[in-house]
Amino acid sequence: MYIHKSTCISPQQTYSDVDLEKLNISVNNMLNVVEPKYDDIPLNVLRRMGKAVRMGVGAALPLIKDSKNIDGIIIGTANGGMEDCIKFLNQIVQFEEGRLTPTNFVQSTPNAIAAQIGITNQNKCYNITHVHRGLAFENALIDAQMLLRENLEFNLLVGGVDEISSYNYNIENLGGWFKDEEIDNTKLYKNETKGTIAGEGVTMFVVNNCKENSIANISAIKTLHTNNTEEVAEQLKLFIEKNISPDKNIDLFLTGENGDNRLQNYYNVCENIFDNNTSIARFKHYCGEYPTASAFSVWLASKILNNQIIPQHFIKCKSNSNKLERILIYNNYKGQQHSFMLIEK
Amino acid sequence: MSRIVITGIGVISALGEFAETNHTALVKAECGLSSLQLFKTIYSETLKFGEIKIENEQLKNRLGIKNKGITRTSLLALHALNEAVNDSKLKEVQIKSYDTALIVANTVGGMCLTDELFQDANSKDNGSEYVSSYDCGSTTLFLQNQLGVKGVCNTINTACSSSANALMFAARLINNGYANRAIVGGVDSLAKFTINGFNSLGILAPQNCKPFDKNRNGLNLGEGSGFIVMEKESDVIDKKIYAVLSGYFNSNDAFHPSALSDNGDGPFLAMKGALKTANLSPFQIGYVNTHGTGTENNDEVEGKALKRIFETVPPFASTKSKIGHCLGGAAAIESVFSIIALNNQEIYPSLNFITPIESTGLIPLLEYKNHSFDHIMTNSFGFGGNCSSLIFSKK
Repeated sequence: MYIHKSTCISPQQTYSDVDLEKLNISVNNMLNVVEPKYDDIPLNVLRRMGKAVRMGVGAALPLIKDSKNIDGIIIGTANGGMEDCIKFLNQIVQFEEGRLTPTNFVQSTPNAIAAQIGITNQNKCYNITHVHRGLAFENALIDAQMLLRENLEFNLLVGGVDEISSYNYNIENLGGWFKDEEIDNTKLYKNETKGTIAGEGVTMFVVNNCKENSIANISAIKTLHTNNTEEVAEQLKLFIEKNISPDKNIDLFLTGENGDNRLQNYYNVCENIFDNNTSIARFKHYCGEYPTASAFSVWLASKILNNQIIPQHFIKCKSNSNKLERILIYNNYKGQQHSFMLIEK
Repeated sequence: MSRIVITGIGVISALGEFAETNHTALVKAECGLSSLQLFKTIYSETLKFGEIKIENEQLKNRLGIKNKGITRTSLLALHALNEAVNDSKLKEVQIKSYDTALIVANTVGGMCLTDELFQDANSKDNGSEYVSSYDCGSTTLFLQNQLGVKGVCNTINTACSSSANALMFAARLINNGYANRAIVGGVDSLAKFTINGFNSLGILAPQNCKPFDKNRNGLNLGEGSGFIVMEKESDVIDKKIYAVLSGYFNSNDAFHPSALSDNGDGPFLAMKGALKTANLSPFQIGYVNTHGTGTENNDEVEGKALKRIFETVPPFASTKSKIGHCLGGAAAIESVFSIIALNNQEIYPSLNFITPIESTGLIPLLEYKNHSFDHIMTNSFGFGGNCSSLIFSKK
């Protein structure tokens, strides 16, 4: 599955005039997105959109405008428009279930992002929303991979979207997933305490089967549910055996390490599989933690393969070689959901 | 490519707690709609719902669930899933193998706990036991953990058509070699969130809904879950095969966030695509389980789309007149009903119909009938224009 176009709205300078060296600093344990102006969305439509829908549509439109045809819209989002959802909930409670306005309700359904992209472009093709928490984006990719096997000529839009709202920040915080103490993202990997920092973002890709002029190849994906570190390491070894011939080197192991000391062992056992021919890098200090952060990691990997350089702040451990042809991504969500993705030139 | 066959079914709805009790109620044309007895909302007395009259504690006891933080959505799902898995006689080693997928659709997740969610979302300390159970994925993760499924797990939410897409995704996983079998279903429980959401759109019926009637005035919300076990025909030896999942298709109406277009392009394309996947001509469909919500918009548009597809529209009905609209559970529950109909060579009537819609003149099936047929189509159309159709065929 070849990436031909991509957009990324993140807490960093990734949308236009991309600068991977620059690092914005988190505030109150949150990395909030830097939103672009959304020139392609009419102002009256834009005003009615919640953040998740706005970011999703805003990132998708330039890609669609730039493509001849889009034969499927496949979105991964754990929560969709969480802010609209809780706004509607607040209405229910505040007005004691009286006469309520439906806008927040309609926008709160997670499929509103894919639906709005479809409506805006009069696109009547395959349209779906995967919401499987920390593997929502991976399932979107698996769906795209299957659709491209079933229809060799298809051109698909596939993306990951999740927002921080004060509400889901509260809920995740009550669940113990963010740090109690305030830290900034440059010190995320000290790993002394539980929890991480919150992030958000949208990453959109146009993918098809055509190798020519592609940015990168998403060549393999594997998802796993377990809380057993040994099983994760075993499955990673199997993934490598199955998908990478022994004469090929994995130049970079890119991980979702997020500073939560409860999850560190998963990353340690996986890192131990590699020798000094593989660099190790991390990305959560850059985009923060959110269920579809792995979509950001695929975008980052494609940039690294094209730029042939890994900015210093991502690097945990540098290999002997300077070659960058093959990147293996491991992400872990809450110690329960795991994914491996292989990104090649 | 081996055909995909259904080897197990499970369902819990306002009509009954198991496939057999639902079947009996369908044959007798019973209606499961009522005022609310268990779920508290200001609409408990004034509107009708497809409520399952079993309390959460009773469900937990029956299912042997002792952990905290488990929502009604998850309990209803486990109830139907257990029935389907037992029915298919899947072995423990198969359930826990890396080639078994678990695909679940739902739209409310733990938001059935509106008041707890409100507290937690607006609170800085003292979370409730449900802080990890509000998202749609929480139900699938609970089921995954209960069963120890190791293969691809996924949660799908395309509003009212969610579980049709779950069945379709599971079938494609098998066809593409990502799994050899799948446990797949959909679920939703009643929630203040959806009751007030649909009410704010003015599409909740004050009385029992009247699908395809000229004077229809909205839908009833329901709750429940349907699950099926899908396997490759070549893998199935010595067990009952209920039906073949022969056709499926997903299309978007691309018209409006909460209404279908006049011509029903989305529904038309979904049905047309499902026929093409199944390699069938329209006249071969013996019965259509319609989406048939009872809203002004859906039934007229669906009727028009049926007339665009079928030269002569086959017998059709809406089970939503009996169990309400179960949202993320709807297509899975109605798939189980469709499989039961096909297996027993019988079709079940729509309730509360009197006068046809002028623009279509279509009359749904009004009496229980023995019916000789080979293929059944089931439709699901959702907010956001998400339209999907499935076709089940006799073995």
